[in-house]
Amino acid sequence: MRKDKWIPYGLVAPYILHFAVFVAFPVVFSVVLTFHRWNIISPMEFIGLDNYVRLFKDRLFWQAIYNTLRFLVVHIPLQIVVALALAELLNRTVRGASFFRAAFFLPVIVSGVVVTILWQQLLGYNLGLLNRLLTAVSLPRVAWLDDPDIAMYSIAVMATWKNVGLYVILFLVGLQTVPAQYYEAADLEGATDWQKFRYITLPMINPTIFTVVVLSTIGGFSLFIEPYIMTEGGPLNSTLSAVMYIYQQAFQYYHMGYSATLGFFFALLILGVVMLQRRYIEQEN
Amino acid sequence: MRYLLLLSVLLVPACERRTTDRTLVFWCSNNAGEIAFAKEFTEQWQRRRPDKPLRFQPIPEGQSSEEIILASVVGKTTPDIYANLWQGNVEMYARAKVLVPLDTLKGFLDFIRTRCDSSMIREITSTDGHIYQVPWKVNPIMTLCNPRALAARRAPQPPYTYSEYLKAGAQFRFDRNHDGYTDQWLGYTEVKPIWYQRLFNFYPLYLAASNGAPLIADNRAAFNNRYAVEVFRFLQELYRKDYFARERLSATRDPFLARRIATQFTGPWTIGFLEKFKDPGFEYETYPMPVPDDHRGPVYTYGDPKNIVIFNTCPDPQAAWEFVRTLIDRPGDLRLMELTGQFPRRQGLNSDPYFAGFLRKNPRLVPFARQAQYIRGVDNCEVIVEVFDIISQEYQACVLYDRKTPEEAVRDAARAVDVLLGN
Repeated sequence: MRKDKWIPYGLVAPYILHFAVFVAFPVVFSVVLTFHRWNIISPMEFIGLDNYVRLFKDRLFWQAIYNTLRFLVVHIPLQIVVALALAELLNRTVRGASFFRAAFFLPVIVSGVVVTILWQQLLGYNLGLLNRLLTAVSLPRVAWLDDPDIAMYSIAVMATWKNVGLYVILFLVGLQTVPAQYYEAADLEGATDWQKFRYITLPMINPTIFTVVVLSTIGGFSLFIEPYIMTEGGPLNSTLSAVMYIYQQAFQYYHMGYSATLGFFFALLILGVVMLQRRYIEQEN
Repeated sequence: MRYLLLLSVLLVPACERRTTDRTLVFWCSNNAGEIAFAKEFTEQWQRRRPDKPLRFQPIPEGQSSEEIILASVVGKTTPDIYANLWQGNVEMYARAKVLVPLDTLKGFLDFIRTRCDSSMIREITSTDGHIYQVPWKVNPIMTLCNPRALAARRAPQPPYTYSEYLKAGAQFRFDRNHDGYTDQWLGYTEVKPIWYQRLFNFYPLYLAASNGAPLIADNRAAFNNRYAVEVFRFLQELYRKDYFARERLSATRDPFLARRIATQFTGPWTIGFLEKFKDPGFEYETYPMPVPDDHRGPVYTYGDPKNIVIFNTCPDPQAAWEFVRTLIDRPGDLRLMELTGQFPRRQGLNSDPYFAGFLRKNPRLVPFARQAQYIRGVDNCEVIVEVFDIISQEYQACVLYDRKTPEEAVRDAARAVDVLLGN
């Protein structure tokens, strides 16, 4: 009897151990780090709230946050519109639908580094394919990645292309759960395609939209690979994302305490934004 | 990245010894030439000093050797001797007290004074007055030119002052396919904002203009001067007038070999590449970095020095030093050149008859050997990476994007560095 009592504990012990070592300890350690100065190789030095004070004065960190928001403002709506449009098309009876589904999903499973390098070649100023096409039709070249006002939007378009396939599948699943009778009833009432979309489809797939918004927000906030490889945060820090800045502080300058502070603050920021989104969408419902 | 570092910390001990034996461990670079060099000298040592066992091991694979060394320091699994530490990292490790102060070892100072001149010794002396690094090898940054391509466009030939270089830029820049955009430039230097790229454009030009002046002196920014301003203005003009390509050309065929540029700032490692891939009849020559028009005296440059250190986990630092000494005496330096094509950092390399035979056999390397007498590393400063990052930010704003005047950019960089240094 006594032996049986310990069996459940034994069964959950591996997970608890994994959780303690790889989740709980790093989180607690990161919080402790935020009150210290530490470059990995020298002993930690307690500095109280200095890292937090520095964070609020750090112009570059706020620029990185601003850059990330600029990315999100383009990326999320674009992602939703494009994914929903493609899902709508695929939801109709089109020839080769399974081919298109696979084609749209392909970039999702290709390595982010490979996709990024490919787009870097497409968007090059002198030799990029896009500018060559523009030149061929006598249009001026565009500095897609070299103009501080444009570079982040180029990255947002690229990231949308890379991830849209996943959201197409989510929307497709959402669209297929809408009962056909609703559309039949709307047809009998003489509703237009737009009215059916606006008053039937959109409300019915609201939970999917919420999922897509949350997933793209969290994914967008963790923007790293694209600017790291394509622009290294330039030009003029215009594509420096918050995660990239946190990475630089930790692994370029070894400011582990400050980097942990930035990470901690940034996690709270993401949590706040997602909560706001949730509240807004619930109110809309 | 964080996980990679953690993984490195966990894995490095696995490929490391640290048993109870007293065998010294020597980590070398993991390129074929340096492995051959390390093997040869380790075998010699084993024959000569069987009482002081020593073995070599190429540095474990990782994203960069700096990362691996950092992981080994964190994991306390450092080798006893490491050859190839970037000079800019030494101060950080010295302050963390993980390096042996070499000047406390018997025979070190006497030896180093015969190998290095006083300015070199000053450069490697740490802020606490000790020496933690042995100056080992250098790769001086110089200007490579294609004289035929320049002559074909009637552009002035090197060596260059700033105004001659700009004249050459005006002559050489060309729109080959007549689409209204330049596709042939005088030169190209990496435009990425990452800090270490400034070691290969701004910094050698600054050293050349200033006769080797430091960036940091007495814990203050020392570069708010006319030399830095002139370098920024010179580079700004090259980009403003489209004499240098703004786009990254690294993803295409080497632009120098493809004759899309006629000059580049680079080190001796390029020679092997050019010799291997050049078209028949392709000619190139090597010259010092461009200098201001009123420049006098020798032309300094950045030497990209890599040095040897002994970690304080070493059980017998004196024996470790005795071994290191065999790597950097004259026979050791000659073998370094023969096996790796890199240059030892020693005074009189170019005039010492001991090395003359090698240089006769490798005439392409002679200009680099001459230049090796006039090089600088980076200043001993714990936050030198951040200093270069600050300069890099201003470089982008001024040189590449013309958003600041050279005076403003240099002043702002100096102010930011002073704040960084706590002034």
